[in-house]
Amino acid sequence: MRTARRISQIFFLLLFLFLFFQARYPYETWLPSDLFLRASPLVAIATILATRKVIASVLIAFIILLLTVPLGRFFCGWICPLGTIIDGSDNLMKRKKRKPRQRESTRFRSWKFAILAAVLVASLFSVQFIWFFDPIALLTRTMTTVLYPVFSFLLLGLFNFSFSTGLFEDQVYSAYDMAQNTILPIAQPMFFEAVLISLVFIGILSLGMVTRRFWCRNLCPLGALLGLFSKFRLTKRYVNETCNSCSICQRECKMNAIEDDYAVNNTVECIECMECVSNCKPHSVSYKFGKNIGKNEIDLSKRRFIQAAAVGLAGVAIAKTSAVSREETGLAIRPPGAVKEDDFLDRCIRCQECVRICATTGGCLQPSFLQSGWEGIWTPVAVPRLGYCEYNCNLCGQVCPTGAIQNLVMEKKQKLKMGIAYFDKSRCIPWYSQQDCLVCEEHCPTPDKAIKFDIREARTPEGTMRTVKFPYVDEELCIGCGICVTKCPVIGKAGIFVTNARAERIEV
Amino acid sequence: MKKGQTVLIKPNIGWDRLPEQAANTNPDEVAQVVKMCKEAGAKRVRVLDRTCNQARRCYKRSGIEAASKKAGAEVRHIVKSRFKSVSIPNGELVKSWPFYRDALEADVFINMPIAKDHSISRVTLGFKNIMGIIGGDRGQIHKNFMTKIVDLNLAIKPTLTIIDAYRVLLRNGPSGGNLADVAEKKIVIAGTDPVAVDSYAMGLFDIDPGQVEYLKNATRRGLGQMDLSKVKMKVVDLSA
Repeated sequence: MRTARRISQIFFLLLFLFLFFQARYPYETWLPSDLFLRASPLVAIATILATRKVIASVLIAFIILLLTVPLGRFFCGWICPLGTIIDGSDNLMKRKKRKPRQRESTRFRSWKFAILAAVLVASLFSVQFIWFFDPIALLTRTMTTVLYPVFSFLLLGLFNFSFSTGLFEDQVYSAYDMAQNTILPIAQPMFFEAVLISLVFIGILSLGMVTRRFWCRNLCPLGALLGLFSKFRLTKRYVNETCNSCSICQRECKMNAIEDDYAVNNTVECIECMECVSNCKPHSVSYKFGKNIGKNEIDLSKRRFIQAAAVGLAGVAIAKTSAVSREETGLAIRPPGAVKEDDFLDRCIRCQECVRICATTGGCLQPSFLQSGWEGIWTPVAVPRLGYCEYNCNLCGQVCPTGAIQNLVMEKKQKLKMGIAYFDKSRCIPWYSQQDCLVCEEHCPTPDKAIKFDIREARTPEGTMRTVKFPYVDEELCIGCGICVTKCPVIGKAGIFVTNARAERIEV
Repeated sequence: MKKGQTVLIKPNIGWDRLPEQAANTNPDEVAQVVKMCKEAGAKRVRVLDRTCNQARRCYKRSGIEAASKKAGAEVRHIVKSRFKSVSIPNGELVKSWPFYRDALEADVFINMPIAKDHSISRVTLGFKNIMGIIGGDRGQIHKNFMTKIVDLNLAIKPTLTIIDAYRVLLRNGPSGGNLADVAEKKIVIAGTDPVAVDSYAMGLFDIDPGQVEYLKNATRRGLGQMDLSKVKMKVVDLSA
């Protein structure tokens, strides 16, 4: 059974990686890349509570929840890709040696229920924090902004080195082209907030130095939620009379779920990893359907719950009362198809799927910092100086698991305003120096160009008269895609900028 | 061209647009040129361009990648490390600039633009099309464009310039998008004198080449002849 579990873990991790690599232009797929995100019951419940709507795209998660009732926390042990990564990284770390029969502490076990309580309480008050703690969102975010860029950097470096040697040029190019259509990006991906995001991930993996699966045992609110639902599971752990009380099963248990009476395990904690089955020398342990004989109390005292609820409410208070200047909020340009801002902040789980897929095409989306306050940290915003919204692209709406970005048909997306461009006449070359430029107008993608120009005589700073083409924005035509800002040749701050003025948001 | 030579065809693949929108070179024309080179015995025919929109989108939607591959060409994407700095001692404003190695090193370099309205160059033709094989910050070329574009063309002279005027973009170029801005002219202009070829094409847009700064600049500096009365021309009517 343990072998089956390991195969299952590897399969789902490979599936997760495949779906991740698949989330790129042209995204012609039959299996949606946000499948794992949609399958997380935690995301589903928290989003439904915060938005007070049942969102169709996350209903897949309820299948997992329903299966947990008879089968227990199989998701944690057999499916969760973060769990698999933690298992792998735990094996690379040394922990303090324990005396025989000395059980690890269960002191921190209640924290995951407390965290679950805190985020659910906050959701009831319409502030959604679940994204920080949901393991799938966390992993996707880390992969997009940290792991994949590092991987790309190394692989691109290898290719560039091969190109520079000039050897086997045709073969290297073929390999490079094939890689660029599958695992490699078109250009080195670079993201804001990557350092902070990586610290969370590194922190979680480092906890493996304390105990195995520290995150899963003590912090993961999805594990806590699934634990609640597996109280009355039908698949139970049985120990027959051949047991010689050697205590090895307790030591090998990944979740420290086996009591000092080795026949009793905690059904709320057990993830059915089958380590106890495989390590038992007399083969006394088995898992089968049967009567409830295990411990099944949930490790959360009334006091802890109240503390957790208070922390959740404190989070709501901070989110709802943090100041953001109008300079910043004007620059918070949301992806095309974004729902209204309140709804957006409730639905967005900061998974960065949209950021990921945008980076394979126009490349404007980045995780924000405080442009929309603390409540909006790590939500996607367009940064036109880094990339623009491709006119013929509507991929972000196709990969958003919670509908924070709606899936728009191309005709609608091409007319939808993300914002409006404005000329900074103190920096735009024709306006401040009476020379010609018009790179912005050249690239404007609307069929009737949103940047037009007047042809007038003007005196240059040197004193000569010349005919100059002065550009201006037609606000009715401009959709705020930002390509004008990206391509503006002015060094430093561009001669044109986009704000989210007149941005059109989708009402659902 | 001679048998066994390497050919680089540089069409306009700059934009994420369909062939009917006349923002990129006609894919069938590119494929035809590829075929003719192969029939003449070319060792290798390569097709590439440094695009404005995302490269894979442009190569795909323009139809040029599929058509060229079918005709037997190697379709390549730009690799950053393959730009080589070329010095332009006679450049008035641009003294050196990176150019794509594949274009510099090919035996035969065929420049294949599509004729389009363009706010900076009036019409984008052969001279402007060269911008697809240069590296660096291309935005800087747009200031004092009329002089700089001639400087760049000093560094590389195409063996042959073929201007696609099967469909031309009359307004809202170079990116276009509105089919109402496209006019079917069903003309192809080919020549070895890049100035003469561009000058002739200006006539399709009712523009007097004598009014276009870069053509005057180029003629003055000896890149070619813009006075079409001094140029040997042959007009072939294929409609029969």
